[in-house]
This record gives sequence, structure tokens and C-alpha cells, in this order.
Amino acid sequence: MIDRLTLLQKIGVYIATFFFLLFILMPFIEMIRVSLRPMSHLMTADFTWWSEDFSLQAYRDMWVTVPLLGRYIFNSIFVASSVTLITMIVVIPAAYAYARLEFPFKSLSLGGFLAVNMFTGAVLLIPLYRVLRTLSMLNTYWAMIIPGVAFLIPTGIWLLRSYLEKIPRDLEEAAYVDGASRLYTLRRVVLPLAAPGLIVVGTAVFIGAYAQQFLFAITFNNVREIQPLPAGLYEFIGYQDVTWNEMMAAALTGITPVMIVFLFLQKYLVAGLTAGAVKE
Amino acid sequence: MATLDLQSIMKSFGTAQVLSGIDLAIRDREFVVFVGPSGCGKSTLLRIIAGLEASSSGRILIDGVDVSAAAPVDRGIAMVFQSYALYPHLSVFENIAFPLRVASLPEAEVKQKVGRAAEILQLTEKLGLKPGQLSGGQRQRVAIGRSIVRNPKVFLFDEPLSNLDAALRGEMRVELSALQRDLDATMVYVTHDQIEAMTMAHRIVVLNKGRIEQFGTPMELYHHPATRFVATFIGQPNMNLLPATVIGTAPEGLTVELHGGTRMTLPVDTETARSGDKVEVGVRPESLQLGSGVTMRLRVLERLGGTAIAYGQMPDGLKVCAALSGDTTVHEGEDVGLTFAPADAHVFDANGRVMRRRQAPALAA
Repeated sequence: MIDRLTLLQKIGVYIATFFFLLFILMPFIEMIRVSLRPMSHLMTADFTWWSEDFSLQAYRDMWVTVPLLGRYIFNSIFVASSVTLITMIVVIPAAYAYARLEFPFKSLSLGGFLAVNMFTGAVLLIPLYRVLRTLSMLNTYWAMIIPGVAFLIPTGIWLLRSYLEKIPRDLEEAAYVDGASRLYTLRRVVLPLAAPGLIVVGTAVFIGAYAQQFLFAITFNNVREIQPLPAGLYEFIGYQDVTWNEMMAAALTGITPVMIVFLFLQKYLVAGLTAGAVKE
Repeated sequence: MATLDLQSIMKSFGTAQVLSGIDLAIRDREFVVFVGPSGCGKSTLLRIIAGLEASSSGRILIDGVDVSAAAPVDRGIAMVFQSYALYPHLSVFENIAFPLRVASLPEAEVKQKVGRAAEILQLTEKLGLKPGQLSGGQRQRVAIGRSIVRNPKVFLFDEPLSNLDAALRGEMRVELSALQRDLDATMVYVTHDQIEAMTMAHRIVVLNKGRIEQFGTPMELYHHPATRFVATFIGQPNMNLLPATVIGTAPEGLTVELHGGTRMTLPVDTETARSGDKVEVGVRPESLQLGSGVTMRLRVLERLGGTAIAYGQMPDGLKVCAALSGDTTVHEGEDVGLTFAPADAHVFDANGRVMRRRQAPALAA
């Protein structure tokens, strides 16, 4: 691309970007700052970007304060991954059907999915509780996985459908003429071409699952061993005081593995989000 | 080795009638081209033959067997798409091997068949590459390779050359004609380009508004167009149509008066004509010569070397085109007299039907 910005415009762009990023990243900066300072200094000192008392002590102490912390982090990732896996297994054929097949109530049901998405999980907690109790699923991993899957399927279908629609129909017709069945075509032709789209949808679902598990965990589960990290962080709230620095350290540690994976997926994410924008 | 018969194929999308009663008998090893303007139904007809689209009614027979309800693969057809439809994530080898993989053939057989196809199409060097690394002509050959590995009875081509540049298109035309001969195959080819139709076809089907206007050899269509539509569609540049009035009939043919008062007796069958009828006299640009007959004001002269195409206007505003000798001395802006031999004229009645020419060149069998 040709760089057509003047120096002044560039400076403007960078200043705007700086404030935008500051706004978005400030909470994270604050989290990191808090996690690095000793408890006793947190409430007293004024805000400084850098201070002499920074240490990694909280990152060591947190494992002692909350002995099950490792378990919680594992649970979080396990629940979010399970939700993503099951959601994708359901979403891929459904999105393909919506992208390619004609059937009754197609647009109506698609609209219905969008409508379902407008209810947050919170509105449906009580009915969900009763359903899960009837199925004897309270206090199991399923109690967090199943509602998560249910709420993420509509988004997944909408996202993936529009991606699959962009795959040229000719390719599928060519496969059909050569004798390939729908499923064979889906497996050998459509899904490999949709890989960037699958990664985008998978990521969106994973983030969604990670974010919403808190609600389901504190409502449907009171077994400590299977609690995910967001619920587990409550244990840093003691009777007397809250160990904020350790809580922040634990939260940051919990998202680190996920962040690292996303860092590697980044190039696919960008490719997926802009696919079809440029005619090849 | 296959014949292809279409029996009263109809197709409508909702209330729109796309194909109305197509009857066609294509012989074994014949290269038939469907040609027509966009929207004439030629691609739909091809897709119906392929089995990608169901006809509203009618039957399709391949080698005498009714395949109307069969899946494409069971019909014994293979199709080459306009967009090539290559799988971008698979290598050239796997693209060509795709139909064989679907049929779960043993690896050795796949290797041998793909190797042979690649040899025929000069793709042996390219088997390891991805389609994205190939040129347009090579991609086209991969698409053809994928269609020949299965030894289909009938090959279907949907405007396969329209994405190529002019030079490559000319080259591929020759290659396709040669391939058809080498494979001894029945081929059906759809195009909107009458040059492709004329150069490659054994017989051409001219389609217009969902109907067959005419089915015949290229030279048959050129010398004996059945309708005004075929006459103007086949031949480059397009045929001139001069409005005329029937003065009378004589044993030698039809006497007409052209605008401007020129009277001519044209050797055509006159059964349907009556005095006073409005008709159109069709004259191909290459049949026009300098002389005294009709007059036109020459507007543009395109010198192509061997010939010069003269575009002009008659006094009544009608546009006329003539193919003159390349060394012609006429100048743009001057009035030019043109004449033609009566035997070269085509006459169309008010409905666009031709009156049969008596002195046209004999037809190729």
C-alpha cells in the first residue's frame, strides 16, 4: 500500500491511537501494577507508573493463599475448551446447512437464533437451574459446559454461515459432479478452505465461553474442585481483607496460557476477518 | 463413446420460462457447441445435462439410457467450469486425482491415471504445485485433467475460455479441438463467443430466449441461417439488414425494392411472399463490393491489413458495414457506392424466418 499520510496526519493518528489504547489497556496496566506491589502499599501510595517496591512476591504467595489455584486455572481452560469443541461440532454442520441448503423456516429460525442471543444467561438462570437439577447435572462440569454451549451456538452459526457462503459454489458443484457426497465435500473441500473462518469462530466461541463461565459456575456449582478461575478468585476475598495483589496476579496468570495461544493464532485471525475483502 | 439425446426439456424458475421444449440429438464423438446471447438458457441447459439442475420436464438419454434422475457421476459425464473450480488447498496432482479419490481407487491406479492425464495435458512438471502458482492456461488444463481421468462418456464445458486473454484463448481453442480428436469423446461446449463456436464445433446449437433457433454445421449456419437471429449472430462483422418491399415474384426469385429505389431479383424460394410485404434483405459485409447499388457515407475505415472494414450510414440513417479489400482507396467522409450479387442475399420475412436461398454453396455433409 502507498503511504499517503503527511507527517502531521501521522502524528495525529499516533496520538489518537495512544489514547484509544490507553483507554482499553488501562485496566490491564492497573492489574499488573497492583499485582506487583505489596498489600501494605496498595491503599496508601499515590498512583505512579513505576515504583521501587515492585516485586513478584504476590505471584508466589497466591499459590499458598488459595491452594487450589492451579486446579481453578485448569478448570477454566478445560470448561472453555470443552464448550468450544462441542459448540464447533454442532455449529459446523448447522452453518453449512444454513449457507447451502434450502429448507422450511430457514430465515425464521435464523432470526430466532438472533433473538435468543438477546437474552443474557442471567435472565434464564432460574429455568436453567431447574432443568439442570432435573437432569442431575448440578455440581458437575456439565452444569457449566451445557449452558455455555447452548448460548454460543447461535453466534457461532451466524459467524460461520457468512464465512461459508463466501466459498465459491462452483467448487462444491465440481465435487458433486465428480461423485463426492455432501459430507465428503464438506470434509475435503469446504472445511480446509474455511480454516481461517473456523479459527475466527473458534476463538470467538472460546472467549465467549471463558467470559460467561463465571455466571454458570457460581449459580450451578458449589464444588470447589471443579470451580473455574473467575469463581475461584473469590477465595482471595477473606473475612478481614481482600488480598488484591494476589487476586490480580492470579487473574493474570490464568489468562496467560490463553493469551499465548491467541498470539500464535493472530495471523489466522486477521486473515479470517478480512477474507473475501480482496478479490483474488 | 456416447450419444446424447434431449427430449422436450423444459425449465422454469417460478414463472420465468428459461427453456421451452428443447429437443436435440447429439451423435457419438460429436463436438457440439451451444451458443447464444447471455440469458438464452445455454448454461442452464448444460447444468441440466450435468445433473446440477433438474429440468421441469423432459428426458435426457445418454447412450439410449434415461439418466434424467441419475446423479452426475452415474450419468458418465464430466464438467469443466468457467471458473475452473480448482481446489486451492490441494496440489495439481490431488486436484486431478479428486474424482479417483472419491471413487476410492487404489493408490497405484490413481498414480497411473493422473500421470497419463498429466502427460496428455503437459502438466507432468507441475503436479506438485498448487493451483495458485499456475498461469490461467495451466489452471484450465488442470480442470480438463480432472475431467478426463474418469473416462466420462460426455464432456461438458461451461465457457471454459472466457477467463483467458485473447492470445491464450486462440491457443486453447486449437488444443481443445485436438484433445477432442485424441480422446474420441462426445463434447458439449457452451459459449457466447461465436468465433469459438465456428472454429471448434462439428455442429452448433444457436439458442435464443430458451428455444433452439437452429442446429447445424458452422457453414450451414453461415450460408443458410434459418432465422434473422441466427443470421446476425453468426458471422463477423454482423450481417447487414436492409429493409425492402416485395414488388413481385418471378420464376427466378423474389423482386424487391430497397430503400432508395434500387430493384433486384433475388434467387430465393418465394412461396410465402406476396407483393407489398415488408422484408429484410440480409447481406454479409464480405459480400459487399464497391459499385453502384446502395450508397453510404463512409464514417470509419478500419484497416486490418488484408481487409478493411468500412462502417457507414445510408441516407436514411441505416448503418452499414462492408469488408473491402485491404488496399481500397476510399476515404472516410466520402460517399461510397456498394453492390452485391443477388445470389449472396438472404431474405427474411416480417417474422424473421428466412426464405430459402437457391444458389447458396452446397452444404458439407
